[in-house]
Amino acid sequence: MMTSSSSQSRLRAFAAKVRGFLGGRQHDDEFDDEVQAHLQLLADKFVQQGLSTKDAAAAARRQFGNTTLLQEDRREMQTLPSIEALWLDLRYALRTLWRNRGFAMVSIATLGLGIGAATAIFSVIDNVLLEPFPYKGADRIVFPRIHGAQQSQDEGRQGYTAAEVLQFAENSHVFDGTTAAAEDLVLYKHGGGTEQFDGARVTPGTFEFFGMPALHGRVLQPSDYEPGAPPVFVMRYKTWKERFNGDLSILNQPLVLNGTARILVGIMPPRFGWYEAEVLIPEKLTPGAKAGGSAIEWFFVGRLKPGVSSQQAESDLTVIANGLAKIYPQDYPTHFNVKLKKLGDTVIGHFEATLYTVLAAVGLLLLIACSNVANLMLARATTREKEFALRAALGAQRARLVRLLMVESLVLAIAGAALGTFVAWGGLKLLVAAMPQNLIPTESVIELNGPVLVFTLCIAVLTALIFGLAPALQSSRRDLNDSLRDSGKGVSGGFRGRWVRDTVVVMEVALSLTLLIGAGLLIRSFEALRQVRLGLQPDHVFQTGLVLPADRYKTSEQVTEFVRPLLARVKFLPGVVDAGESNALPPINFAASKMEISGKTPQDDWRVLFQNVSEEYFRVLGINFKQGRSFSEAEVNDARKVAVVNETFVRKYLPRENPIGQRVRLASLETSADPARDANDAREWFEIVGVVGDVTNSGLQVPIEPEVWTPYTITASGPLVLFARTSQDPGTMMNAVQQAVWATDSGVALAFPSTLEDRFNKYVYAGPKFGFLLMTIFGCIGLVLVTVGVYSVLAYSTTRKTHEIGIRMALGAERGHVLGMVVRTGLRLVVAGMALGIAISSVLGRIIGNQLVGVTAYDPATLAATMLLLMLTAAVACWLPARRAARVNPTVALRYQ
Amino acid sequence: MLKDMEGTMDIKKSEVLQGTLDLMILKTLHALGSMHGFGIARRIEQVSRDILQLNEGTVYTSLLRLQQQGWITAEWGTSENNRKAKFYSITKRGQKQLELETENWERISGVIGRVLRLEGER
Repeated sequence: MMTSSSSQSRLRAFAAKVRGFLGGRQHDDEFDDEVQAHLQLLADKFVQQGLSTKDAAAAARRQFGNTTLLQEDRREMQTLPSIEALWLDLRYALRTLWRNRGFAMVSIATLGLGIGAATAIFSVIDNVLLEPFPYKGADRIVFPRIHGAQQSQDEGRQGYTAAEVLQFAENSHVFDGTTAAAEDLVLYKHGGGTEQFDGARVTPGTFEFFGMPALHGRVLQPSDYEPGAPPVFVMRYKTWKERFNGDLSILNQPLVLNGTARILVGIMPPRFGWYEAEVLIPEKLTPGAKAGGSAIEWFFVGRLKPGVSSQQAESDLTVIANGLAKIYPQDYPTHFNVKLKKLGDTVIGHFEATLYTVLAAVGLLLLIACSNVANLMLARATTREKEFALRAALGAQRARLVRLLMVESLVLAIAGAALGTFVAWGGLKLLVAAMPQNLIPTESVIELNGPVLVFTLCIAVLTALIFGLAPALQSSRRDLNDSLRDSGKGVSGGFRGRWVRDTVVVMEVALSLTLLIGAGLLIRSFEALRQVRLGLQPDHVFQTGLVLPADRYKTSEQVTEFVRPLLARVKFLPGVVDAGESNALPPINFAASKMEISGKTPQDDWRVLFQNVSEEYFRVLGINFKQGRSFSEAEVNDARKVAVVNETFVRKYLPRENPIGQRVRLASLETSADPARDANDAREWFEIVGVVGDVTNSGLQVPIEPEVWTPYTITASGPLVLFARTSQDPGTMMNAVQQAVWATDSGVALAFPSTLEDRFNKYVYAGPKFGFLLMTIFGCIGLVLVTVGVYSVLAYSTTRKTHEIGIRMALGAERGHVLGMVVRTGLRLVVAGMALGIAISSVLGRIIGNQLVGVTAYDPATLAATMLLLMLTAAVACWLPARRAARVNPTVALRYQ
Repeated sequence: MLKDMEGTMDIKKSEVLQGTLDLMILKTLHALGSMHGFGIARRIEQVSRDILQLNEGTVYTSLLRLQQQGWITAEWGTSENNRKAKFYSITKRGQKQLELETENWERISGVIGRVLRLEGER
């Protein structure tokens, strides 16, 4: 009667409750006062009417009614449910869930998987994309690119001369700090020999810019950069740990770096990774005066002032660059502007898209986990209908029942979140181990942290709302008379929301099949990648790069004089079978050249890859000769003009001819040839003496290029790689080889020593492996969820059908018939979902097609296998409730409900 | 069908009673201005000439409800016997609501009266 528009009045009532809740006890007291005053007045009135004081008080209380009840009413109206009531609900929820351990465990496991997967991926995103850098104002640190008008979006020069860096730093108005760094290959000489560091020269103010103090010792100070200051340097944590075993005694000791004794003054914290430098050496920039000062070698970064947009900054820097272009026109395109990139953009790049896609997939998984649990709760709610009807009949309000169910959901969700945190913790370890290292910034540490845990908690509450609310409303809405009266809905179906549950199952199956097909394809693709004939035997091979001090190794004779004795030494090491030398590492060779063949008209697109090797190279790597022979020792020693080519070369350039004795000429070899030799020498023709089987030379997913091998003694240029075939585990050879190198020349350092197999794993297989690992994990989670989903829906519908099944059996239906009926119901959903899943996959197939090797997106074997797997799993999920239905005892079932 | 009707009638009945008290209190405050709970109880007792026996406590539930809807406001003051007491008065919104409810009441009681008379004639 006294109702305004009801939603408005409810809102007002709720606002009053919140006010009352915040007001606390004060309201209780005021209300008591008011009631007491009323009672007193009433008693006074009775006294005036002639009652004794005692009788008057009693009469007043009688007329007023139950004060306790009134106070309770008031509290109900004026405050939120008290903590005690919630505690009661909580205890009740825990008890109920304990009684239904099976249900609780399945729900918690399902939620745990969903929440865990989401948390793990969010951790990666938080640590890699949101907060990768531990530096001061890291999200405002940018670096400029000189972007020519003709260049594509991602191109542009990002190295600068010292003069340019100084101009940018001094004349720009948009930065509140700038710094620059240049690469510096550092040879560290110690008592035993020489090692190599990836070093960097850094400009004054670098450490102030990043705002990170040293872990041990101190960072570089302004005085360290001054010319004539005592030479010092700072080391990165990882280098200190791995190369010096975290030995603190090296602090404040001199190390000989590039021939200068420098004192190590500080070791940086683990997350400091500026310029990926292992050692940081101070250098003060001088504007181009020094020899080599005009080299374009400096990488410049600045931190934008707060509030400065990157457009403003770009136009500011473009003005400066325009001025520079007038002074150094050779370094600038005719038309250009300055583009700013964020620190980290270069590293993360397209990995970002991958991560967000994965997050979306994981979100879907979570949603499915929620709908699963909602289905489970619905199924369980049927068995509790009487309980709720009784509660309602005894006066429980609907809100109260919903609250009870929501508390139960919340308990499940929190338990799920706790489990999910463990899942995420374990999953992250797996992810970090499998993640290709070059895809994320070194500064980012992937771990569970505060924001991530808050995220998990939010998910938990959200999931509780999603999966708890629908069943709660549904079961509290049921008409209590209907449930209390012991009959009615024995006949199945006709329950509202059935199609929602069926749709959920169909979608689950579809999505899961999509994930499984994706995983299957990536696994097949990875297998195919593994099967790609490398053309060599990568097992039992140790390899390492060698860094020669440039001042002592200028000519090919000098290089040869080092390599000859080294190879001899390495060959005699215990455990080494054979050793050779080359200037490139499989599986990718970057050295390409134009090529001519004697007696043939050269064509523009005649290109080959070329590699300079010692005579043992083919033998050591297990590369087979198809025709002819390898170089002889004499040929290599005398730098004779001989060559070996691969089969692709023959197929492409000398088809139907005998390649042996043909002669080739390489353009690049002329330009890179040893300047000390007669230039005519290199321009000479090389005679083909052998043809080898194809060896991967452009990566595994790309066809093999024609390739030419020549003796390494031809040229001194290019890197130097040592290979050794071993009879024992090649991973144990590191120290012996290092000693052999230093025994030959203690000034030579090893670079990236490892086994060849490790190298392949790291650079070739890691990316695809990560992809298929992720997909497999998600596929499996999807499969588990689908099993639970199909099971819960069927369990629910068979429970509701118990009465019907009882009738059927009483009328003579066989067990097998009942079994079949239930299984059919389930499989119908599964088949519908699979059809949808195939449709989705065929659309997505086009997208993932370019990531696949040796298998098409519509690979029948993969499709058949995944469908079979899904079908089997679904069959099990159907069979369990079906068996239970078939065991129904007709008499019991007819009495049931 | 039948049980549905039962359920509905049950709820409506209590609402009528509840609403009646609310309406009476609103009207009292409208007619007599600011009053405390005891005064309101006395006034209703007086007007109903003891026909309406009510637990006076329920007046306070009613007052709370009206307050929550913003139809009345409360203020601490001193009663005639020099006690601290809470004085209630009707708000603008309350007056509007009172007009609305009065109109409603008259219409419905008219209808009910007619229906009851009809039954009586049969």
